[in-house]
Amino acid sequence: MRTRKIVSIIILLIIAGGFMITFSQIPFGKDKINVANYYISRGIEETGAVNIVTSVVLNYRGFDTLGEVTVLFIAAIGLGAVLFVEKRVQKHTSDNKEDKAKRASLILRTGSNLLFPLILLFGAYIFIHGHLTPGGGFQGGAVVASGFLLIYLAFPKQSINKKSSSVAESLGGLIFIGIGLLGLIFSGYFLSNFLPKGIPNTLFSAGIIPIIYIAVGFKVGFDLTGIIDDLLGRSK
Amino acid sequence: MNLIYNWMYYISSGGLILIGMYIVLVKTNLIKIIIGLHFIDTGINILLICIGYVKGRTAPIFSTSGINPTNVVDPVPQALVLTAIVIGVAVLALALSIAIKVYEHNKTLNVSKIKRLKW
Amino acid sequence: MVNPSLLIGLPLAFAFSIPLFGLVSKRIGKYIPIVTLLINVVISFMLIPQILKNPIVVSIGGWSPPFCINLVVGPLGIFLATLISGIGFLVSIYAVSYIKEEPTEKYHILFLLLMVGAIGIVLTGDIFNLFVFFEILCISSYALVAYYKDKEGTEAAMKYLIQGSVGSSFILIGVALLYGFFGTLNMADIASRITSANPTYLFVTLAFLITGFGIEAAIFPLNAWLPDAHSSAPSSISAILSGIAIKTGVYGVARMVYTMFNANSILLFIAFLGLLTLLIGEMCAFRQDDIKRLLAYSSIGQIGLITFALGIATSLGVFASLFQIVSHTLAKALLFLAAGYMIYRVGSKSIASLSGLGKKMPLTSFAFTIGSFSLIGLPPFAGFVSKLSIVYAAIQVKKPIFLAFIAIALIATIIEAGYFFKIVQNLYFKKGKNLDKITETSGYILIPIIILAILIIAIGVHPQFITGLLKESAKELLERAGYVGWVLGGT
Repeated sequence: MRTRKIVSIIILLIIAGGFMITFSQIPFGKDKINVANYYISRGIEETGAVNIVTSVVLNYRGFDTLGEVTVLFIAAIGLGAVLFVEKRVQKHTSDNKEDKAKRASLILRTGSNLLFPLILLFGAYIFIHGHLTPGGGFQGGAVVASGFLLIYLAFPKQSINKKSSSVAESLGGLIFIGIGLLGLIFSGYFLSNFLPKGIPNTLFSAGIIPIIYIAVGFKVGFDLTGIIDDLLGRSK
Repeated sequence: MNLIYNWMYYISSGGLILIGMYIVLVKTNLIKIIIGLHFIDTGINILLICIGYVKGRTAPIFSTSGINPTNVVDPVPQALVLTAIVIGVAVLALALSIAIKVYEHNKTLNVSKIKRLKW
Repeated sequence: MVNPSLLIGLPLAFAFSIPLFGLVSKRIGKYIPIVTLLINVVISFMLIPQILKNPIVVSIGGWSPPFCINLVVGPLGIFLATLISGIGFLVSIYAVSYIKEEPTEKYHILFLLLMVGAIGIVLTGDIFNLFVFFEILCISSYALVAYYKDKEGTEAAMKYLIQGSVGSSFILIGVALLYGFFGTLNMADIASRITSANPTYLFVTLAFLITGFGIEAAIFPLNAWLPDAHSSAPSSISAILSGIAIKTGVYGVARMVYTMFNANSILLFIAFLGLLTLLIGEMCAFRQDDIKRLLAYSSIGQIGLITFALGIATSLGVFASLFQIVSHTLAKALLFLAAGYMIYRVGSKSIASLSGLGKKMPLTSFAFTIGSFSLIGLPPFAGFVSKLSIVYAAIQVKKPIFLAFIAIALIATIIEAGYFFKIVQNLYFKKGKNLDKITETSGYILIPIIILAILIIAIGVHPQFITGLLKESAKELLERAGYVGWVLGGT
């Protein structure tokens, strides 16, 4: 154990030395924007979204976002495969005493009944307005999943319908790729922005961006809820 | 004072990466190793955001009239960090589920006691 | 004229739709990877003659490079994409009747997404996109190694996950440092500006990137995860991991060193590391009794040989390294598929229990023999041509240290011949115990094994099938000005 600690500290000192050499060459706060000048100056007229980060994420570098959606899908499917239990083995040993002991407190139950629709509304607001305000599909989907987590904590016997959740996940991903392939058919480039751009700073603008973000928001929300459900081992 | 202000973000991100790597290399509890992996991811995300910062400028959202294209920070590292955070969460979820299965088979979380997991 | 972005887009669309097909009928999911990868193989073959004349640069979204993500489909890219799609197609036929443990639908989704990740890595021209597709490949393989949820599978997957995740973090640190200095993420753009940076800065960044890719490529000393992971996974996944996943690590190292950084002084060190990996892999393989662990250590050794050939910076050296990639992928996939079928019939993994199978499973044993002879390097198989090219390339350099390297490589080949002859002797010349119920019946399992054996013999006897494409690919790696010109000059 002692030798392992000493070897680790030597490796870490070498890496720290590497950091010191390189970080000194990148001055903090200096203007070194290079390629991004193109995105900032021509972002609104080419894509129609006033949130430049959204137009970079979904339009100029949309392929990375497709990969990221795929990674989350792989995590959800991999979790389902690793934690899979044969249905006959999982016997329900439910007696009333156990159920009464696990019941959550009154504050939690009432509060989550009140807050759950508000949390869903807030999450939907975030991912619908992704091109106008900070936010977007991933952030909104995470908020929606936290609403479902609140219901799981407050009501120990509730669970979502696994079948419809997996259908929603697949549909979300298919809509994203479908729009990409439609762009290929209409204008010869995968993931090009082929819908009309509208007036900037209004809700119906920026072409394909709101549609993709709504699909991504649904997909991320149900992916994360499916992961929580698998980890708790609850659905039938 | 100015010197510390210039370097404190880089020192904090580099420090997080080094602490995370120390935990992964030295600690023996499986859950602590997984948390160490998450530290490394967080440190790299902070490093990416620091690279995109320009002094005295604001967020790249042209919703009010006072913001013009010479007045905003770099939007590309923010897009990269969005992707990197989601990838980190996916790896963490998968790691925890495999750790649950390892515990079910071996009844312990100490990596030096699991037969071949000894590096 | 087919758009090469369909090579990535179509399999991804099919992979997302497998759960929807699963609602209709539980049995369709098994056949979808076969259909998708067959379409991929056909598209790749159709694109090859056109790319040999003029490489295609596809921009995603319609903007011009370097302000967009672009796919650079040159000879190297289309060659690797064809190889990956072909091997994936054959292994997915094998998996239809080999995978019986629930939940099978999720296995096929993860398998198809692993293929998408691998094809994306070799076709892209942007470093952050390379990182994202690399993560897709790695995360699917973590989940697939843990597919048999037994004691060894989960432990091997945990070890692979921890080391692989640290490797990916190193790659991301390298990407962050490159963006911090150059302000752009396009590989050709960085390659054209590489001389404007401090050499020490470039050295540290290159060290992070090579370490990150080296963990996936299993170069010594970063290969501690490979024997456990490749031996505890299902056999079709072992074939894919040994055949494709570690080769993408080598592709990453080659792209960084040759095209982007132009770091000719580090190539000697890479050749030395490759030789060390070769020796250690072959020596450890000699002592094994479990056949899948033996094949995994042999993979480590062969990756060392490929890296050594890559370090010889002449055109014949890089050509030999690419040829060795083809012959090792075909042979190792064949060996893992055949060994998996034999283990499934006999019920145990040790070499002693495979005695006498030469009479009971004649086709499988004959294919296993062809695979092992090709790996050792005997004529008239594909391995003979590739190993001969490596020896020629090393002799051509005319430095005495390379002659010493060749001597060590030949010693490693002799060790390899030692253990493979031992296995073949066990198959044919020893008597087996209670082998009465063993026959070969399944068509789905035998067809890929036979096709792979035929391919090995065909390439060995007539290497002119692929030498033209490989020569152009070697030229693409060595002449970086050509690569930069395709993307930035406007083809």
